Amino acid sequence: MSFEIKAEGVDVEAIMRGIRQRIEQKREGLYSDEEIREIAERRLDGVLDAHEFNSDFIQDFRAQSGRWNFQFGPETLYRSSRGLVGQLLERVRSLLKPVQKLFWNPNPMIAALSRQSDLNSYYVLLLHNLAVELTKLNLELQELKNRNLQLQGRLDLLARREKTLEGMVVYRDDEGSEGGGGGEPA
Amino acid sequence: MKLAFVVQRYGLDIAGGAEYHCRLVAEHLARHAQVEVLTSCAADYITWANHYPEGVEVLNGIPVRRFRVKRPRDPERFADWSARVLPAAGRGTPADELRWLEEEGPFSPRLVRYLERHRQDYDFFVFFSYRYYTTYHGLMAVRDKALLVPTAEDDGLVRLSIFPPLFRAPRAIVYNSVEERAMIAGASRNQDVAGEVVGVGSALPAQLDPEGFRRRQAVEGRFALYVGRIDENKGCRQMFDFFSRYRHDTGSPLGLLLVGRSVLPLPADPAIRHLGFLSDDEKWNALAACDLLLMPSRYESLSMVTLEAWWAQRPVLANAKCEVLRGQCRRSNAGLYYGSYEEFRECLAMLEGDPGLGRALGENGRRYFEAHYAWPVVERKYLDLFAAIRALDARRAAGAA
Repeated sequence: MSFEIKAEGVDVEAIMRGIRQRIEQKREGLYSDEEIREIAERRLDGVLDAHEFNSDFIQDFRAQSGRWNFQFGPETLYRSSRGLVGQLLERVRSLLKPVQKLFWNPNPMIAALSRQSDLNSYYVLLLHNLAVELTKLNLELQELKNRNLQLQGRLDLLARREKTLEGMVVYRDDEGSEGGGGGEPA
Repeated sequence: MKLAFVVQRYGLDIAGGAEYHCRLVAEHLARHAQVEVLTSCAADYITWANHYPEGVEVLNGIPVRRFRVKRPRDPERFADWSARVLPAAGRGTPADELRWLEEEGPFSPRLVRYLERHRQDYDFFVFFSYRYYTTYHGLMAVRDKALLVPTAEDDGLVRLSIFPPLFRAPRAIVYNSVEERAMIAGASRNQDVAGEVVGVGSALPAQLDPEGFRRRQAVEGRFALYVGRIDENKGCRQMFDFFSRYRHDTGSPLGLLLVGRSVLPLPADPAIRHLGFLSDDEKWNALAACDLLLMPSRYESLSMVTLEAWWAQRPVLANAKCEVLRGQCRRSNAGLYYGSYEEFRECLAMLEGDPGLGRALGENGRRYFEAHYAWPVVERKYLDLFAAIRALDARRAAGAA
C-alpha cells in the first residue's frame, strides 16, 4: 500500500529524533563509541589478543611527540639555541634572508618538511583510529559469538521440547486405543 | 538614491560566494537606485595580483570602478602573520591583527582614499565580506553611511579583537542567516546596530530539463548530487568516505555526481562521477534530475546551492556540524542533517527508500525559498533598511533643529 506524504505534515526535527532513536536501538547490547574508545586506550592487548602489540602506544606517542616527531615551521631553519648570542644570530639570519634567497629557494623544503611533520601526526591518529575500529570489530565479533551460543542453546532446548511433546502425543494416542471405549474425553 | 557596493573583487567570471552574492544584489538593486561598484583590480583571491585594468568599465549595466592593489599577497609573509595572529584569536594585539589584515589584502589604499574623498557622492555604501582590508578600512572611513554584509562563517575569525568594533560601526548589517547574526552578536555585542536577515536570491532558470541533462551527460539511475568546489575544506573527503560506506553497507545502487572544480584526488569508486564545471543552465538541470543534494560543508554562511536545490524542489542532506545549514533545514522543513556516519546512513536510506518524503521535503523547500529568498522579498528588505536609516536621520535632523 502506498500513500502520499503531505509536505505540511513533515517535521524534520521529529524525523531526526526518530533516526537517532533507531540508531540508539541498533547500538543496544553493544558498546557505545565512548566505551570502545576508553577500552581501546586502556588495554588494547587484552582485547586484541596480540602479545607483541604495545597497548600504550597512543599515550607514548602523545606524551613524547618531541621524540618521535619534529616540529617544523617557516622560522625553524633560522633559529638558534645559543641563548643571547643565538638571538643575535637569528636576527642576522633574518636580515640575510633576502640575500640567501638569491642563491636558493628554501620554500619547497620548508613546505615539504612542515607537511611531513603534519603527516606524521596524521599517521599516528590513523593508527589510533584503526586500532579503535579493530577493537570495535573484535567486540562485535565476541558479542555475535555469544549470541550464537545463546541461540544454539535455545535451539537445543526447543528441539528437546519438541521431542518430548511428540512423545506425549504418541503416549495419549496409545492411551486412547488401549482404553477401548468411545467415551468423551474428560 | 546612489549606492556604492564595495567588494574585494568583481567580475562576470568570478564565482566566489560573496563576490557573486554582491553582483546579484547590485544588479537587482539597480532597478531601484543608481548603483556603482567599487573594487580592486584583482581576480585571484590567493595573490590579489592586479588583473583587470584600473578605471571604470560597465558590466551588465553596472559601472565598476577598479583600483590597483599596491602589492600582491606574499604567501610566506601572510602565513607567518597568520601563525602569529590566528591561533591567539581574541588575544593578539590590534596592531598585529591590522598588520595581518594588510598582509591578507587586497591591499588597495587607493580604494580607501577614494571612499574618504567621495563619501558625499553616495547615499549609502554596501560592504561585502567583513574579513578583508578593503572592507575594514573602507567601512571605517564612511561608517555613517555604511551597511555591511558580513558573509561570516563560524571559523573563529570574528573573535579577533579588530572585528567587534567593525561590527558595531555600520548603520545596519545585512545577515545571511539567524545563526550568523547570533554568532556576530555574541562576538561583538552589536545589538544596537540595526540588522536584518536577508540572504540573497538566485538567477532562476526559465525552464528545467532533467531528461535532457540525463541524455547529455549519459546519466542513468537515481543519484545524489554535490555542487561546488570539491575540496577537503568543504567536507568532500568525508562525504566520499560516508557515501562509499553507505553503498557497501546497504547495497544501494545510488550514484553520486559531482559538479564543480576539483582540488582533491577523487576516489576510484565507479559510483562517484565527476562532471566538472557545468554552465548555470546545466547545473539547474542537474538539480532537477537528482534525488537529493548533498551539502557536506561545515563552514557556510548561507549556501546558495542549498537554496537553489530547494527552489528545484529537491531535498537536501546537510552536515549538522554547520549551524547555519542545520538551522535552515529545521526552519524550512526541507532537509535532513547528519553529525555521524550512522546518521548519514539512516538519513540517506530514508530519502532513497521513500521518494514521497523527498517530494514533501522538496515542496517545503520551494515554499521556503519563495517566502524568504525570492528577489522581490530580498530587494524589499534592502530598500526598507535604506528607508529606515533615512527616516532616522531625518528625525535626528528635525530634533537637532
